[in-house]
Amino acid sequence: MTLPVTIIMIEDDEGHARLIERNIRRSGVNNEIVSFTNGTAAMRHLFGADGTGLAQKGNALLILLDLNLPDMSGIDILKQIKENKYLKASPVVVLTTTDDSQEIKRCYELGCNVYITKPVNYENFANAIRQLGLFFSVIQVPPAAS
Amino acid sequence: MTAGERRRRTFWQILLITAGLLVLTLISAGSVYLVNKARDDNKWVVHTIEVENQVNTLLLEIRRAESALRGYLLTLGPEFQADHQKAVAAIIPALDRVRRLTGDNPEQRASIEKLSAAIDTRLDQFARELELIRQGQPAQATALAREAAAGNTIATIGKVAGAMIAEEERLFQLRTANADRSQTFAASMTGIGSGLVVVLALISIWLVRRSARARDDAEARLRDANVNLEATVDERTADLREANDEIQRFAYIVSHDLRSPLVNIMGFTSELEELGKDIFRRIGGLTGVPAGGPPVDVADIPLDGPDKQLSADFSEALGFIKSSIARMDRLISAILNLTREGRREFQPERIETRNFIEGIVSSLAHQAAEAKAEIHIEPLPNIVSDRLALEQIFSNLIDNAIKYLKNGVPGEIRIRGRTKLGYAIFEISDNGRGIDARDHQRIFDLFRRAGVQDKPGQGIGLAHVRTLVRRLGGTMSVSSELNAGSTFTITLPITWNASNRNADQ
Repeated sequence: MTLPVTIIMIEDDEGHARLIERNIRRSGVNNEIVSFTNGTAAMRHLFGADGTGLAQKGNALLILLDLNLPDMSGIDILKQIKENKYLKASPVVVLTTTDDSQEIKRCYELGCNVYITKPVNYENFANAIRQLGLFFSVIQVPPAAS
Repeated sequence: MTAGERRRRTFWQILLITAGLLVLTLISAGSVYLVNKARDDNKWVVHTIEVENQVNTLLLEIRRAESALRGYLLTLGPEFQADHQKAVAAIIPALDRVRRLTGDNPEQRASIEKLSAAIDTRLDQFARELELIRQGQPAQATALAREAAAGNTIATIGKVAGAMIAEEERLFQLRTANADRSQTFAASMTGIGSGLVVVLALISIWLVRRSARARDDAEARLRDANVNLEATVDERTADLREANDEIQRFAYIVSHDLRSPLVNIMGFTSELEELGKDIFRRIGGLTGVPAGGPPVDVADIPLDGPDKQLSADFSEALGFIKSSIARMDRLISAILNLTREGRREFQPERIETRNFIEGIVSSLAHQAAEAKAEIHIEPLPNIVSDRLALEQIFSNLIDNAIKYLKNGVPGEIRIRGRTKLGYAIFEISDNGRGIDARDHQRIFDLFRRAGVQDKPGQGIGLAHVRTLVRRLGGTMSVSSELNAGSTFTITLPITWNASNRNADQ
């Protein structure tokens, strides 16, 4: 486990993306963050041009996923990640404004590892992200399927 | 069919039946009368024939007496004498019979008197002839007989009797014609009457058939209308449900999408706040540090004069922004919660209401103790309903009752219940500050509050409660006066099921 973990952030709202990034950095996490503002580009990056996910084989990834994307549903992305043999081991953190219990339940059922509601209260939000940073630093990203 | 038309038709039917009855009565009366008349006529016809017969019998008896007398005169046989005497004995009764029979006819009576006189004369002649024969003077008797035969007595008898018979013949003709006429009349009357009855019956049948057809048509139309009505109601219900769903979706999406920029506003406001602190710290560092002095931690340098004022203004502006954002977030959350409530499926279950309310009250015990409020729970009817919805309804109302007590007055809150016609009626009353009558509707509107605004709140609770009560197929109302406490009344079906909700939606 020598490869550093790359954080993939799929978030259409650039403000949110910036706030998330700042707070991650504040918590002392310096991993590379790759941002996408729409689902299509993120999917291409994750699954490669051939759509098999082979391109990310062996890479340690942590995916931050917003559910409300302009071009596709975050739920679909989560589902495809968890169905792909190369990607399913990567932890997925769902970050969204919805605190609808049905949606949270559905995300966990599909295999999301953490579900964070973006609270308007900034302190809570910052805390959540910082804790997430701590979480990043302690989790052992399992080796991707080879 | 209009009411007027129906009334007219009824009128015609009654008229027809009346007419039919009238015709039947007339025919019956006419028939009885005519039959009586015919019998009478026939009696007279028979009477005429009888009179004729009797006159003929009388003549016959006279002839018999004459011929028997002649035989006696010729032969002197006692059998002729007996025969003669028998015939003479029959003449007077026959004459009496004729007289009796013709007592009604003055003409005949006059003839009878003439005949009677002639017969008396003739009988006298008979008696004399017989006497002569008995005395043994047949020649004189023969002469007498010859004289009598040549005399006008016999002719008179013949003529009078002939006239009487002719008279009876005339009467017979007359009476027969009368009887015939009566019978013809009776027959034609019966015929015409029957025809009329048949015609009336036909009209009646036609009318009945027409009204039956009209009724069938009306029934068919009614059936169609019913089917259409059901279809229309279904259609409207579906439309309403769709519109309702759309509003729910709209509210959900709007509140959800409003939240996203709010996260940014709040986030970057906080970032600005941090930046502001840094900036003012620097300003302090630049202006407050005595030149050439030892370096001090910039955080410890207090701002002074216009810089301090600037910092305060900056913080105040940020403070307003943050509190507004917080408020907006609460409103959006409230809308989200309401739409979520509107979409939640209810699960009916049996609820021991008293235990259930006691549970809610104990969870509010802390607030109640703070407000020095006592909560009394009276016996409550058990119901079948959605537990979570009921919990929200009652905890909101009890919480309100505790929250809006009068300052300095020990609170007394009562929860009562009763049942009526399949509904459970709950009352939550307090001795609190009360609600002005003009605010009674307003308090149920979203984001609206009433009275002195000295307690935190968004104006959501009662709107939410009322939505829930309605979804549970119930109603709620308030009765209150300012400074005289409030009573909230909730009426819920004792047994809730999905059909209540469908009826409600």
